[in-house]
Amino acid sequence: MTKRRLDAYIDALADGKRPDPFDADPEDVDVLRTAITLRSARPGDGVPDDGFVDQLYEELADQADPRTVPIGRPGKVRRRRTAIAAIAAGLVLVGGTAAVTEAVGQGAVSPAAVPAPHGSSLRTGTFETTDGRVMGQIVVSRGSPSWVFLNVGGANYTGTIVCKLQVADGSTVATGAFVLHGGNGVLSKTIQVDVGRLRGAKLVTPSGAVVASATFA
Amino acid sequence: MSTSGDGAVAYLRVVETDAYADWESVYRDNVGRLYRLMYSRVGNRPDAEDLTSEVFRTALRPLRLGSSKGEVRAYLLTTAQTVLASHWRRHLGLSVTSIDPDTDSAYLVEPSGSDPPSTAPSRTSKILTSLPDRYRRILELRFLEACSIKEAARTMDVSVSNAKVLQHRALRMAAKVGEELEQ
Repeated sequence: MTKRRLDAYIDALADGKRPDPFDADPEDVDVLRTAITLRSARPGDGVPDDGFVDQLYEELADQADPRTVPIGRPGKVRRRRTAIAAIAAGLVLVGGTAAVTEAVGQGAVSPAAVPAPHGSSLRTGTFETTDGRVMGQIVVSRGSPSWVFLNVGGANYTGTIVCKLQVADGSTVATGAFVLHGGNGVLSKTIQVDVGRLRGAKLVTPSGAVVASATFA
Repeated sequence: MSTSGDGAVAYLRVVETDAYADWESVYRDNVGRLYRLMYSRVGNRPDAEDLTSEVFRTALRPLRLGSSKGEVRAYLLTTAQTVLASHWRRHLGLSVTSIDPDTDSAYLVEPSGSDPPSTAPSRTSKILTSLPDRYRRILELRFLEACSIKEAARTMDVSVSNAKVLQHRALRMAAKVGEELEQ
């Protein structure tokens, strides 16, 4: 019976499901630990899901004491996401940094009739590989909430990739994971950092290898 | 700085003057790293999310924001240690993995690079290369390549029940190899 439950526990781990509790024998510990080690080595899963990070943030914001803790709550993040992502689609994804800035200045970029962010509230950067090849663009937009939009094209990589924003104090904020298909991919996401304090961004694989980096103008 | 009398050894204490401005900064700076640590200890996303949530719910309320970043992270790690121990007690009745705030502090320190501190990939590689081909393959398919048991069986051209037996035996052998690596 215990062996069957041990196997069920291990199958759940391998299948990425929540394993059911059972009373384990001490002799099972090494096998369980090995299964966990193997599963932890699967690329991509060591990065938290964006939805989880946002949801937990909102729960914690609800329980925080407003008298003592300053909170920059993102508000109705998910409801606004679609509309702002539409702005991002118009702003970012093909034209490159110069084109983005120009388009914002002309104020004619929103296919969803949502006011575009003002030019001065945007910061832009170009993703470059270590050998200097341009691989995409990133735009951060200050607002309530603030947003990051980025596109990647022509990467020699397919799979999950993580965008990490670098803050001027040296800290790094893991912004979100997205998937590159055939070397191409996009990300749009709210961020809870001061856009003015951002220094740059990196794209890293789940194993930590840096694919490209950008410095904000 | 102080020096010992006979060996003239200098001791330096790193002083962290920076502190988090608010709980939001604490959360944003540490949620990914704490999740990664928990994930490496439980091996599945739902439990890792629950445990990460529990750490923040437990730790943030009494947190003193005047503390340095290092102190805040040490506090988060100590909370994580307790939360994980409680998880194993509830779920399996014994401890399978643990967190040591001293040796696991690398998970939460300020990143100097982008390499994750997890030892799972290198350890997994060592274990797998020590196994016979079929044992290695079933574990690669199931744990690294996200194949269901049916898909793994089809890939290896065996029945599903044979694949289950292979997986069971392969894990037992892998556990032995893992023990030997630790010694």
